[in-house]
Amino acid sequence: MGRLPLEGLRVADFSWIINGPQVAQWLGTMGAEVIKVESQVYPDLTRLFPNCMADRVRGPNRSGFFHLLNYGKKAITLNLSKPRGRELAYELIRYSDVVIECYPAPTARKLGLTYEQVRAARQDIVMVSVSLLGKTGLEPAEWVGWGPMAASFVGMFDAQGYPGGPPRQTGGTWPDYAVGTAVVFHVLAALRHRKRTGEGQWIDASMGETVLGQMPEWCMDYFMNGRDRRQWGNRDDVMAPHNTYPCAGEDKWIAIAVRDQAEWEALCRAMGAPEWTRDTQFADQVSRWKNRNQLDERIGQWTRAHDHLVLAATLQRAGVAAGAVLDSVELHQDRQLWEWGYWWELNHHEAGKRVLPGMPVKLSNVPQLNLSPPPDMGQHNKEIFGGLLGLSEEEIRRLTEENVLY
Amino acid sequence: MDGSASLSDLKVVEYAQMVSGPMCGKLFADMGAEVIKVEPPGAGDEARCHPPFAGDQPHPEKSGLFLYLNTSKKSITLDPTTPTGAILFKRLVEQADIVIENQPPGFMERIGLGYEVLRALNPGLILASVSPFGQSGPYRDWKGCDLVEWAMSLTGYNTPTLVVDPEKENPLRAPGRAADMIGATTAAAGAMFALFHREATGEGQWIDAPCWQAVTNTAKIEMAIYSYAGMPFSRLRASAPAGLEPSRCRDGYVYVLWVVDAHFEALKELLGHPPALAADIFKDAGSRSQNDDIVRHIIQQELAKYDMEHLVREGQKLGLPIGPVHTVAQAAENPHLEAREAFVAIDHPVAGRFRYPRALVRMTATEPAPRRAPMLGEHNAEIFLGRLGCSAEELTAMRTAGIV
Repeated sequence: MGRLPLEGLRVADFSWIINGPQVAQWLGTMGAEVIKVESQVYPDLTRLFPNCMADRVRGPNRSGFFHLLNYGKKAITLNLSKPRGRELAYELIRYSDVVIECYPAPTARKLGLTYEQVRAARQDIVMVSVSLLGKTGLEPAEWVGWGPMAASFVGMFDAQGYPGGPPRQTGGTWPDYAVGTAVVFHVLAALRHRKRTGEGQWIDASMGETVLGQMPEWCMDYFMNGRDRRQWGNRDDVMAPHNTYPCAGEDKWIAIAVRDQAEWEALCRAMGAPEWTRDTQFADQVSRWKNRNQLDERIGQWTRAHDHLVLAATLQRAGVAAGAVLDSVELHQDRQLWEWGYWWELNHHEAGKRVLPGMPVKLSNVPQLNLSPPPDMGQHNKEIFGGLLGLSEEEIRRLTEENVLY
Repeated sequence: MDGSASLSDLKVVEYAQMVSGPMCGKLFADMGAEVIKVEPPGAGDEARCHPPFAGDQPHPEKSGLFLYLNTSKKSITLDPTTPTGAILFKRLVEQADIVIENQPPGFMERIGLGYEVLRALNPGLILASVSPFGQSGPYRDWKGCDLVEWAMSLTGYNTPTLVVDPEKENPLRAPGRAADMIGATTAAAGAMFALFHREATGEGQWIDAPCWQAVTNTAKIEMAIYSYAGMPFSRLRASAPAGLEPSRCRDGYVYVLWVVDAHFEALKELLGHPPALAADIFKDAGSRSQNDDIVRHIIQQELAKYDMEHLVREGQKLGLPIGPVHTVAQAAENPHLEAREAFVAIDHPVAGRFRYPRALVRMTATEPAPRRAPMLGEHNAEIFLGRLGCSAEELTAMRTAGIV
């Protein structure tokens, strides 16, 4: 294995569930030593998530949800609700470059993980706090919640629905991943700044602000024109057709987007140039956009007879932007994801052989990432407490008995 | 040191249009890097012609999409597909740390500006290529756009969540530019990894950042349900645990999470322990999920008796994860976001003065600090005459020939 870009950096990761662990994972796969701090009091809840257990057998080291977010790391157990536990946490922080936490503000205070407390342990630390809506400001800075609540607060769910309908939720836990990716860039910029100036800092990442900053048309239309874009469906400002259309089979769909006259003509040819496509209401970009509901209905009648995967390939060959809406089985079989190198195979001592998503970015000079298996709870206690922090075996045994290393 | 200047030692050339590449450039520019945006002579970046426009007036300096995505950059007009344009582009590359591009894969090679050519000019160069599906593989040459990349990801399949009638509820794109945006932030992270690599080794490299893979990487629960538990992921409400969606209240909607028992107890407390919630079907999470329809119906009836503000304030006091469902306009006027200065007013000589989202994340020492987007070719004289050593006559000749 060649040298990895972040070798020499150490991350003390107190975060759990999705956003913080995703940040730590990206840093870890790129060579930083990530030490994930858990405890029996605060285990990473994804270890317990019942729906993703390997072969549906429960166990803290068997959860796929945990595995997908935590390979490339080491894990220790340290009980921060004990004073000695907090002391050891600050000791770890003294040897670290980055600290990550994503607890609600009251919990972070209780565990001693505010920026002031962390900086007291190491002056030039780069600390990341991820939260719903930021950790400064008014009452929402104190709220409990999970990713989707941030999207709901900033208007994404109101904008998400079908025209005229109620607000709907954007899939999964989008804000957690959106903020996680943004944080990786900014934490590396902060480390670069520290290298140049010696100054550390606090990154206060609000999932809500990340989501808003990624909805430019919505924000800017309001700020420039006072327009509130609600329940927007699949409408685009310019393109039509621009929608998802039913295909043969149960709950199978294809997305089609046409951006100019040439692509429209290509689509018409692929459909066999039926009579209706020559109707004046679909004659040019503007007419198609104005009459997009009728257009969508016509196209949907055509797509319904076709297999979504075959049709996507056919339309792409014809020069039309189209893609099958893939379900979880199709995604894991997709040729592009395999050949591009997105999937990798984990051989895990409890879960066996599994296919996992890798990094969604490739670096030409970094052919092999750190894909060490997702750690068992406390797997690296001896290495970190005995090695890095220099505790004797006797101390480790005593602290384990006292539920400090717990 | 100026807070915004943490990347001020970096020179970036951006040869990119619309959203993914420009957003990547913006992240560097707002933190002080010099980002020279290379726009096609004539119309410029396609985003300049894209709504919304200030005052709803189509104008190349008034697109809100463009103005937001191109803050803090310099704009030159240059056509690198012409021989003279290519020579000038190469001179820019010689002086650059990073080149960001989102042209169709293979295009840069076809115009003689592929990675190998650029690396020969500047071995430390980092080329960040943002694309729909990647620089290799069977979909390399497929056309993409935000809708298509989003829809093909499992997160797209699961949007909106909790579908009742899959025949009527077609998959929706996320509001905003989710796939383009996460491709952009992924490319920016990739370029930053490469900078660390360069600082240690002196080597540059090529970053391949596909938007589809980036958005696919956001469906980890949905993947693991299949790859670990062996159950194909379902987007149907019937297969999700009860208690995690927008619910109607008296004056709008609240988003409330009551999957686990502790949260459900807090919810009961918030609603004043109504007798309807004492029924046996509410006794634990399993039983609530089995009786999802009736459980949901009864809870929504109770929530509908109260105002949003009351539910959120009192619910949060009880430790219940509950928050308002705002419209974008309500969010834009929200006092908490205002207290955090989440928006920043920026003057533009043509478009005017209005607010913009300030930054994706907040930083105490080097906060991103957006300055107004450049007008088309605004920095031509500065860059061509000052930086690239062209003479005034050459610049005029190039303008006449449509190269600049």
